[in-house]
Amino acid sequence: MGVIFLTPIVEAKGLTKAFGSHIAVDNLSFTVEEGEVFGLLGPNGAGKTTTIRMLACLIAPSEGAARVSGYNIAENPLDVRQTVGILTENPSLYERLSAQENMDFFAEAYNLSEPKEKISRIKELLEFFDLWERRNDKVATFSKGMKQKLAIARALVHKPPVLFLDEPTAGLDPESAKEVRDLMEMLSRREKHTILLCTHHLEDAEKLCNRVMIINKGKNMVVGTPDELRNRIIGKPTVRINLRKFDPKIVEATKKVSHVQQVEFNESTSNLTIILDDASIGTPEVVKSIVDAGGQILAVYAVRPSLEEVYLKMVKGER
Amino acid sequence: MRIEKAMLVFRKDWHEIRRNWQVVLPIIVVPLMISVFLPVILGVIPNFATSQGDSSSGFEALIENLPNHVLEQLASMTEMQVMLYVIAVYFFAPFFLIIPLMASSVIASDSFAGEKERKTIEALLATPISDGELFLGKMLVSFIPSMAITVVSFAVYTIVFDVISYGIFNSILLLPTIDWILLIFGLAPTVALASIGLTVMISARVKGFREAQQISVVLLIPVLALVFGQVTGAIVFGPVVILALIGLFGLVDFAVFRAGVKLFNREEILTKLA
Repeated sequence: MGVIFLTPIVEAKGLTKAFGSHIAVDNLSFTVEEGEVFGLLGPNGAGKTTTIRMLACLIAPSEGAARVSGYNIAENPLDVRQTVGILTENPSLYERLSAQENMDFFAEAYNLSEPKEKISRIKELLEFFDLWERRNDKVATFSKGMKQKLAIARALVHKPPVLFLDEPTAGLDPESAKEVRDLMEMLSRREKHTILLCTHHLEDAEKLCNRVMIINKGKNMVVGTPDELRNRIIGKPTVRINLRKFDPKIVEATKKVSHVQQVEFNESTSNLTIILDDASIGTPEVVKSIVDAGGQILAVYAVRPSLEEVYLKMVKGER
Repeated sequence: MRIEKAMLVFRKDWHEIRRNWQVVLPIIVVPLMISVFLPVILGVIPNFATSQGDSSSGFEALIENLPNHVLEQLASMTEMQVMLYVIAVYFFAPFFLIIPLMASSVIASDSFAGEKERKTIEALLATPISDGELFLGKMLVSFIPSMAITVVSFAVYTIVFDVISYGIFNSILLLPTIDWILLIFGLAPTVALASIGLTVMISARVKGFREAQQISVVLLIPVLALVFGQVTGAIVFGPVVILALIGLFGLVDFAVFRAGVKLFNREEILTKLA
């Protein structure tokens, strides 16, 4: 996404968690920079929630260490918790209480006790999440999507520098999931939170994350920007060009372009698939060569594997 | 330890509990039975017993063990007055140790186990509220309502017995006595705190509310022993006995609270989710 991050706000070194003989998280090391949206991507049971729980000082690592907002998770758990907003796997809301009462409790629990500041922050968040009109209703009467939005609002109430979001769109219908995803995107832009996002929804990671770490069986499989991960499995950038009419002369002309490494063609669809060593320089040159050879171009596509393909390749490869 | 954080946990839980009639109803009904219905029924017994010519009604053991100065007082009373006096001042005293225990048992069992069952525990444990503040808050939400209901029950009980005895004792009010004041405001809170602390510890360690409640029933046994002891005359709740018990249970409270905070383990609570 072209953003430069300078300061690591989450640093994990050799983080390991064993439950008896089962190793849930195995020697994870990573950093999350200030203002970054960092995705922990993996299948169920990969160790995502355990990692977040260790970083939020809910469970202790068996081995390794981590710092969150400069605080050591083993030595300063209360300071770590104060600087972290967490959306847990379940919304964890008090259903007999109203939305306002839930927010009041968590605001004060996170030391936002000054009444004016507290009231204005809660109003701001409930309005942002479109829940202000329902603030006095019991949470039990809310839909799943509304509960999830309220849980995110709760995590934000004390303006935490770091947000841990564990499966924020899990269990939601597609419409609610999109709404929550859009709100998180707006949030990361507007409030500049550092977000550690646990998900197995590739769409969430693709849309929201600056960097992604794919984990499986508690191990770090790969880490990088979504583009880097794609490039890692695709190897070289690929362009697909749809022609009005196929002509062998065009293929020959294309092969002569300096950045072209390989050309494949499909006569029935009039498509050329071209592998380049540098897409940014090679693509315009290829287009020019086709036009010079008398070809008529209908469309040019950059062929990029989805994050899903990267993910499946990594996870299945491990299995 | 920040008391305001413990009070915050108390207020949150109380807001939830007061809207749950399944919890509130037993808290009100049991004390009401002890403070109103039983005194009314037993208050009638002396009249019935004396009219039948049976003055004992099973209280001899208790009367025989009363302190000498009380026995001297009883010597100048009629049979009916003796029985009413013994029932009002001595017989029911230990039952008021059961009221806070029964009233708090449901709430204390629900404290952490209920949050696990309702899947609200993780967000609570993720807050920067310390172990001690959380533990104290959960104790207070059981302690404050149960003591409030105990004091109200005592007030009702006093009025009921004073109304019954006013005519029989020539306008003298039997209650409250110094023993009762010590019992309600000294012994009942210390006994309740010990029981609540242990129940909250159990609640943090089990998966669900029912399990916590079943285990915590065991905690009633020592108090039931006191009740049995008083009714049979083995123990008589005089000021010295009550003060000694207050001291003893005060120490137990301190030890239970220390142990509760020390053994409080967020990881164990989370990994035992229902």
